Amino acid sequence: MAINPLSLSVANTQIIEDTNKLATNTATPYEAQKSFASTLKDAIASVNEQQIQSDAMTQKLINGEDVELHEVMITAQKASVTLNATMEVRNKAIEAYQEIMRMSI
Amino acid sequence: MSIFSSMNTTASALTAQRLRMDVISSNIANVDTTRAKQVNGEWEPYRRKSVTLAEDNGQFSSFLNKAMGKEENAGNGVRVTAVNDDRETPFKLVYNPTHPDANEDGYVEMPNVDLLTEMVDLVSSTRSYEANVTVFNASKSMLTKALEIGK
Repeated sequence: MAINPLSLSVANTQIIEDTNKLATNTATPYEAQKSFASTLKDAIASVNEQQIQSDAMTQKLINGEDVELHEVMITAQKASVTLNATMEVRNKAIEAYQEIMRMSI
Repeated sequence: MSIFSSMNTTASALTAQRLRMDVISSNIANVDTTRAKQVNGEWEPYRRKSVTLAEDNGQFSSFLNKAMGKEENAGNGVRVTAVNDDRETPFKLVYNPTHPDANEDGYVEMPNVDLLTEMVDLVSSTRSYEANVTVFNASKSMLTKALEIGK
């Protein structure tokens, strides 16, 4: 049975147009993966930066330099919160990956 | 606005209270100091120091936001503007003719530090520090709770 073109509503044509637009705008899987990888890399680098900062502050305190104890503690806590956030993102990503892998084809 | 902005604000308050504590400890340590500095060849006793605090208005961006009417600036904490000498309260005169710094009538000028006031300030700054640590912990537990969203 052929689809009657007249029965297509305005909303349907809109959706088709959008789909066409999406199809032309979609990056190749390689590009998408690359941008995801670089985003992840940047995020992890900034988390690592926090850890390095915390380490440096602790080192300064131990060496007896002019650094306040609460500054050291606060930097450590910031690093801890950032790391926890990263762990949550990682868990979600792995969950999604495993969900895809479980898919029966 | 960074997620750590409340932590940064608390950090500035903690630093300010630490400095207040430093100044108070200096005042208490010098409660009997008769030779703090030399003025025209005469020794002057220690003057009580006090800390002046001001709101930290922060960076250019916060001023710009204020000027543009965007009042979403939550502040940037507190900063110490000055450590002032107390020149209002007179020195205490103590009769002690054997003291090397006694004047011709036998009176010695002692610092204008009141130990009771200093103790009250000490408790006040300690409590203030504790309050800011509580704020910090609350802010951290808020962030930790936020990480539990969708678990």
